[in-house]
Amino acid sequence: MAFVVAIAGTFVFGFRAGRYARHLRWENEPIRPWMSVPFIAHTHHVPPDVLFRAIGLPPYEHDRRPMRAIARAEHRPVDELVRDIEKALADAGHTHPSLAPPKGP
Amino acid sequence: MGEQILALLSQYGSPVLFAAVLVASVGVPLPITLLLVVTGSLVSQGAMRFWAVVVLAVAGSVIGDQIGYAIGRWGGAKLVTRFSAFLGGPARLDQVEAKARHYGAPGVFFSRWLVSPLGPWVNLATGIAGYSWLHFLVWDVLGESLDAFIFVALGRTFSDRVLELDAVTGNVTWTLVALLVTVLLGWKLFSYVRKKS
Repeated sequence: MAFVVAIAGTFVFGFRAGRYARHLRWENEPIRPWMSVPFIAHTHHVPPDVLFRAIGLPPYEHDRRPMRAIARAEHRPVDELVRDIEKALADAGHTHPSLAPPKGP
Repeated sequence: MGEQILALLSQYGSPVLFAAVLVASVGVPLPITLLLVVTGSLVSQGAMRFWAVVVLAVAGSVIGDQIGYAIGRWGGAKLVTRFSAFLGGPARLDQVEAKARHYGAPGVFFSRWLVSPLGPWVNLATGIAGYSWLHFLVWDVLGESLDAFIFVALGRTFSDRVLELDAVTGNVTWTLVALLVTVLLGWKLFSYVRKKS
């Protein structure tokens, strides 16, 4: 039984690794609350000041606070900040996973 | 907890990296591969320096591994009894000790970077088996150096795709772990069938 589970595990994880590897160059990085604004700007190839302005902060590239800490300091929900960032990225011409239309079957 | 560590790494950098790899090497489940890949991305952004973070990551993980080894080696009879019960009795523990002494070097080296989820268990097992501390240290430093170099370099190269890269490397690691288990169980099954016939 354990042998069968191990074989199944090998195929499942191998398949998943292949699927993620295929997407490596095609999908934009999702935005997570642990990411800082310069980090998001880097992963989406936009200048950080565009994103700082989108969330109503003065551009400061050495501000490495995560989105969660900014949300706490600004007394705003982190989801709202993420939405503002996503909108700024979309305006800058980027297709974001959460903004893209759902894929067909 | 993983997200909090990543947030702290983003904000405070090196000290968080050092502390996280140290406690993860002792056995606390943290997303260390993602942490190293994100560190590589931060290097690419100019927020950290490549060789400095590699050295720091190696130092933290080697110290953590030594703690794991020391717990196994000098953790007392209670730990050994519990571990031998987990393995199936004192006779089985003797077999494991003999194997750990025989395969100690590749076991320690590959569990640092290729099948890293096994790392903390290997630390404990080699300590309990009384595997030479000097040999453990040498293979540990070599393996951890390769681990830190590979994942920080990958993070620096794919600095804009860290989450996807982590998903790929994570699944590759678990594929290798599952393959290793398949080969071991397959070999046992084959030996059993051959003995019976």
